[in-house]
Amino acid sequence: MPATRALSLRRTIVRTSSALLAFERLALMGLMYLLTGLILVNVVTRYSHFPIYWIDESAVYCVVWLTFIGASAMTRLRLDFAVTMLTERLSPQHQKVAKVISTGLVVVFGLALIVTCVLWMDPIGLARAGFDGRKLAADTFNFLYTERTQTLNWPTWVLYLTLPIFAVSMTIHGLANLLEDLELVPRTPPRGFQLSELDGVN
Amino acid sequence: QAREFRLGLITPNGHSWNKAALKFGDELKAATNGRLTLTVFHSGQLGNETAMMQQLQSGALDMGFIQAAELGSRVPHIAAINAPYIVRSTPAVAKFVRHPAAVKLFEVLPQETGTIGLGWGITGMRAVFSSKDLNSLADIKGMKLRINPTPVYRDFYSSLGAAPTPIPTPQVFDAMANGQVDGLEADLEFSWNQRFDKVSKVILQMNAVFMPMAAVVSGRVWQSLPAADRELITKTIKTTLDAQIDELAGNEPTLIENFKNAPIPIRQVDAKDTEAVIAEFDKIWLPKAPVLAELRKVGATL
Amino acid sequence: MITSAAFMAFMLVGVPIGLCLCLAGLVYIAASGNPVLFQSYPLQLFGGVDSYGLIAIPLFILIGEIMNGGGITRRIVDMAMAFVGSLKGGLAYVNILANMFISSILGSATAQVAIMAQIMVPEMEKKGYDKTFAAGLTAYGGMLGPIIPPSVMFVVYSVLAQVSVSDMLIAGIVPGVILTVMFCLVIALMGYIYNYPRADYQTPRQRVMTILRTSPTLLIPIVIVGTILGGLANATESAAVGAVAAALVGKFWTKEFEFSQLPQMMLRSAIYSAIVLFLVAAAAVFSWVLIFGKVPQETAAWIQTAAKDPVSFMLICNVILLVIGTVIDGIPGLIMTVPILLPVATEIYHIDPRQFGVVVVINLVLGLLSPPVGLCFFVAAAVTGAKPGRMFMVTLPFFVISCVLLVLLSLYPSLSLILVK
Ligand code: NA
Ligand code: NA
Repeated sequence: MPATRALSLRRTIVRTSSALLAFERLALMGLMYLLTGLILVNVVTRYSHFPIYWIDESAVYCVVWLTFIGASAMTRLRLDFAVTMLTERLSPQHQKVAKVISTGLVVVFGLALIVTCVLWMDPIGLARAGFDGRKLAADTFNFLYTERTQTLNWPTWVLYLTLPIFAVSMTIHGLANLLEDLELVPRTPPRGFQLSELDGVN
Repeated sequence: QAREFRLGLITPNGHSWNKAALKFGDELKAATNGRLTLTVFHSGQLGNETAMMQQLQSGALDMGFIQAAELGSRVPHIAAINAPYIVRSTPAVAKFVRHPAAVKLFEVLPQETGTIGLGWGITGMRAVFSSKDLNSLADIKGMKLRINPTPVYRDFYSSLGAAPTPIPTPQVFDAMANGQVDGLEADLEFSWNQRFDKVSKVILQMNAVFMPMAAVVSGRVWQSLPAADRELITKTIKTTLDAQIDELAGNEPTLIENFKNAPIPIRQVDAKDTEAVIAEFDKIWLPKAPVLAELRKVGATL
Repeated sequence: MITSAAFMAFMLVGVPIGLCLCLAGLVYIAASGNPVLFQSYPLQLFGGVDSYGLIAIPLFILIGEIMNGGGITRRIVDMAMAFVGSLKGGLAYVNILANMFISSILGSATAQVAIMAQIMVPEMEKKGYDKTFAAGLTAYGGMLGPIIPPSVMFVVYSVLAQVSVSDMLIAGIVPGVILTVMFCLVIALMGYIYNYPRADYQTPRQRVMTILRTSPTLLIPIVIVGTILGGLANATESAAVGAVAAALVGKFWTKEFEFSQLPQMMLRSAIYSAIVLFLVAAAAVFSWVLIFGKVPQETAAWIQTAAKDPVSFMLICNVILLVIGTVIDGIPGLIMTVPILLPVATEIYHIDPRQFGVVVVINLVLGLLSPPVGLCFFVAAAVTGAKPGRMFMVTLPFFVISCVLLVLLSLYPSLSLILVK
């Protein structure tokens, strides 16, 4: 029966989105603890004349991951600056349409970001090159898999992974929101977030 | 066929590299009656050097002035030019970067980075600015020293016994002023613009390392250019970089004079103190970059 | 052209501003016939937040979370009460002074308004102030948040403008203090006209006791400034040390902070930071395509025909930013205007980027206090139940005096730069 299959697909999307959000919640807490810890360790070690060379860089990448994981989570939590000047003047019916369009554009962005990530990271080319970054570079001028960070000396592609992850999770959250906006599934209140709508960040 | 090139670099307006880039554009335009033009994107407007490299590789960006630190972190062979005591003065730097041995380093660039190197531009020899008294290399031991975080510099200053501390460039002055670090290393032009002498007790001219920049062209773009244009670009960039090198080396005495008029002493490192340091450094870097041996030989003749 | 049309359409239909910027960037690339730029797109997004200066933002927000959870804000209000409560219009002064104190710890206007409105407005209402006025006044007090350091907006600006974060933070001190003084003068004048009530009388002994009892709150700004001056930390790291200080004060002195609250505080700080930081990343992508399309150069040429000297340029900027500020909120406004206006300001009119930053930030903060999208008014209204529309009218003198400050800051660079090395 196609109808039940469609229903189970909807449920899968919403469940995947909820599972992702639960994971993102833990990751955000972890990254924030890690960031605070790294900075405090840096203060102490530098003061005691044993500065750790790679801490600054780690803290920066910590914030980068926090940004994209947080951006994905806030999509699902529907927390973001949006201009409501026009939409709030519309009739409830038209407001719903605007809502569906804007949530649809979130999905469009997620998909577009997946495409740009594939163009950039070229997983097919990499597989063709036998997962040899140097060979890929020689074949296509894509040197992504040969670069390392300056002080941590990690391969940079590992750090860049936050973007394809963000692209995929953004798409899933966007789809879940879209299903809710189309009233195809009931709204799922997020669990474990004690957020107040009042705490802006300007 | 008319063409508009984009050139990116990290330094701000007014830096001698930026002046060279603008001049290069003017000359290119004049030589082709406006057929080839150049827009310069300064201050990392198109992203940091890593991002610019990616754009050069994909062909989105046509040209870049990329520091040896960025290229060297990808290719140890190029990092050899950052090694300490290859040459020992800014006039020698000016000769060295135009020597065929230094230009030959670019041969690995297409394969290793997807870019074509057309020539080096320079900054002067780097000095250590310190908030505690320094008389010789030995005094650097135990210092918290802000360095440019390129692997070569790190190994060099570590071998001197310093604790290398990476501090982001805009915060260096503050870090020095409030004592987060005991010292910093930088070239004299930058140091004079930032007035590091105001937060230091002494300047020690190391005469050890310098940070050149390579004028590179995207490999993809290069392939698409007719031979005559490639030749013209190569020739034009060479004359502009020549002028940049000569001007920078020529300005150094004025800069040193400026610092001598500052109320803090400016001292020199004794040449005989440097042999052990060189031996220790080469033990790490000769296996990674065998070309270093040849660069040392060439440097010694200048 | 198609890019800006797309951007406007996305924005009006209610797409979050960060995504509007990202999507408009994609539209630009698609329209430019240079599809190779798609390959650089993700890296530009990454590069936008790959910056040391931005580390300060999560840490500044964390301090605010811990302080609020530790009941430290309340005690700062008590302290201000002991100092100026017995004057005519006492609670109005208390409101502004306590806001000034708290600005030295909090980095954001809306957070500050949300916290302070809950404490100050009921108190002022009880004493006979008009509720709308009380809420509006608190919103203006919150304006000091991003001007007096620390400030999330100044951090974002200094990353966009590539100037030292500490310089930018220090540049906000004098304008912040001047604004506080100007607000107090307005209160004095309005208090005289409308006969504002006094707060409860406190004996000198009571006042001294209150000040002694509340003085440990001062530890937090002292620790922040002390670690910087003592060479222990830079402006960013001092925020982490300040968060530890706030946790300790909250735990052992006010005894309202529990370590079990910490995970939720960490989570909230992370999410609120991500809201700002994602905007910064989106702005990086957007300004990258603008720069690729040489939009700043063209804008510069256009502005040059209108403004002949730095002063007229600054005044034009003020008008432009005030208009933008009325529809777009602080940080998104910063992100959309700075990449275009700053190069013109520094390269053509030789304006100091730090002075320019102070003017831009205060301008956009003032936008938070003007209709139709005055975020601070909405926050104050949501917390207190007052009407945002009337709030603007009853606090009009504060708006006017803020505009006067902007003109002064535009005319005299030294007001912003006097403390900067
Ligand atoms: Na503040
Ligand atoms: Na507004």
